[in-house]
Amino acid sequence: MTSPLIAFLVVPLVKIVVILLAVLVIALYMSFFERKILAYMQIRLGPNRVGPGGWLQAIADAFKLLSKEDVVPGRAEKLVFLLAPGLVVVPALVVFSVIPFGPATTLFGLLPQAVPPYLTDINVGILFVLGVSSVGIYGIILGGWSSNNKFSLMGGLRSAAQLISYEVPMGFSVVAVVLMANSLSLVKIVEAQKQAGVWYVVPGFVAFFIYFVCGVAETNRNPFDLPEAESELVAGFHTEYSGMKWAFFFLGEYANMVVVSSIATVLFFGGWLRPFPSVALLSFLDVIPPFLWFAFKVAVFLFIYIWFRGTFPRYRFDQLMALGWKVLLPVSMANVMLVGLGVLLLGGRR
Amino acid sequence: MSFLDFLPLDLLKGLGVTGRYLLKKKVTIQYPEERREPADRFRGMFGFSEERCIVCHACAKACPIDIIHIQDHFEELEVDGKRKKKKVLDRYDIDVKRCMFCGLCEEACPTEPVAIWLTTKTYETSAYERNEQLYFTKERLQSWEGVMPYPGVKTPRQGQMPGDATGTKKPKTGEQK
Repeated sequence: MTSPLIAFLVVPLVKIVVILLAVLVIALYMSFFERKILAYMQIRLGPNRVGPGGWLQAIADAFKLLSKEDVVPGRAEKLVFLLAPGLVVVPALVVFSVIPFGPATTLFGLLPQAVPPYLTDINVGILFVLGVSSVGIYGIILGGWSSNNKFSLMGGLRSAAQLISYEVPMGFSVVAVVLMANSLSLVKIVEAQKQAGVWYVVPGFVAFFIYFVCGVAETNRNPFDLPEAESELVAGFHTEYSGMKWAFFFLGEYANMVVVSSIATVLFFGGWLRPFPSVALLSFLDVIPPFLWFAFKVAVFLFIYIWFRGTFPRYRFDQLMALGWKVLLPVSMANVMLVGLGVLLLGGRR
Repeated sequence: MSFLDFLPLDLLKGLGVTGRYLLKKKVTIQYPEERREPADRFRGMFGFSEERCIVCHACAKACPIDIIHIQDHFEELEVDGKRKKKKVLDRYDIDVKRCMFCGLCEEACPTEPVAIWLTTKTYETSAYERNEQLYFTKERLQSWEGVMPYPGVKTPRQGQMPGDATGTKKPKTGEQK
């Protein structure tokens, strides 16, 4: 770097702006794609009136939400009610600071020096992700509580119970990957997969399955959308929210979906790596830039999210708890033991 | 409980169904641009023929919500060299805003073909002011002023026939009375 000012101020700032904008646009358009894909699964066409092919629908929705009345219930806890949506969005966005979108790049020679496209690589990256993304649940609980509405409160409580039940197996499934990669840094995990020559889904299929199920549960998406179960709780924790505050909850939900998809990509699908990174025969796949590989994998996971929503009915609450504690937790613990044994026996290979 | 029960095969089956439907042909009809032709017996806007009406009041009596208002008077007319008293229609009004399209008026009509019918395929009868715009006098029932006929449908005055709104049906032979 030419000067510390550029290295420590300008470059990170540019990255922050780019990442934030990208995440916001993705979250905005996720709502459009969700409606579109759900419609296609129900052999309908979905939104196609606003702009060519309906592509301006997301923007129209954003403007609609901006211009809506911002209602605060008279008996609500005003300050907390105001803070809650922010508490959902901010952790979801903060997590993006450690997600490795690709290896250091010169942007096809545009930059004088290779710059990593991610904001930072901290050596406890995955812990940071798990910790910060769990803070988002406070926003949901506080939003549910401060609304002074029994449905909201029930939604918030369910959300808390769900998070506690599913954070544990998720942590264990991540431990399996950490054992294989021998590092907590997300960049190192991807590089370890490059050295191993195989994505970690292959040895860690069970871990991946558990991770993704828990990820769906933690983002409160179908079939684990009990906190906002429409048929029971009106809209759960965001019953009393309207306008931009409501939009923030949804922004947080979609951003969290992108986070879970990105982490699943990094941990199990080799991040920015092409399939079979060590097979020279497939090196023609390197034509596609690493970032696009990453984006493609994340897009697939986001599609699977919507696919789930279009397919599965909601779990009953006791089924949800039973699945978390009686199935996922023991299986994930056994999986950690197995992977640990494997790493011990195969030693230096992974 | 076999080992297979632990595998989420049923979930994958469900995903397969939705995945298949994702690629299926969509059934949406983009309404203002394209529209599906209503069936022949679809009951829509009223058609009325003053020529065929014999002022028997059967339709008004059949109407369960009494929205057909008929008034008439007698006139002395010369028919075939004889002086005859004949009923002449003064008023034949239908309050369409309250109509439930049961079609009992059409069933009650004794003329052949019927003088009042609903099989017009015309359903775009929305209005901004229902008391004025959805109250049809006998002139408007025939001229369909302010009504958007289904594409290809003539107004009753232009010769639309009951049960054959688009005029494409071939007359049945051998069944004539």
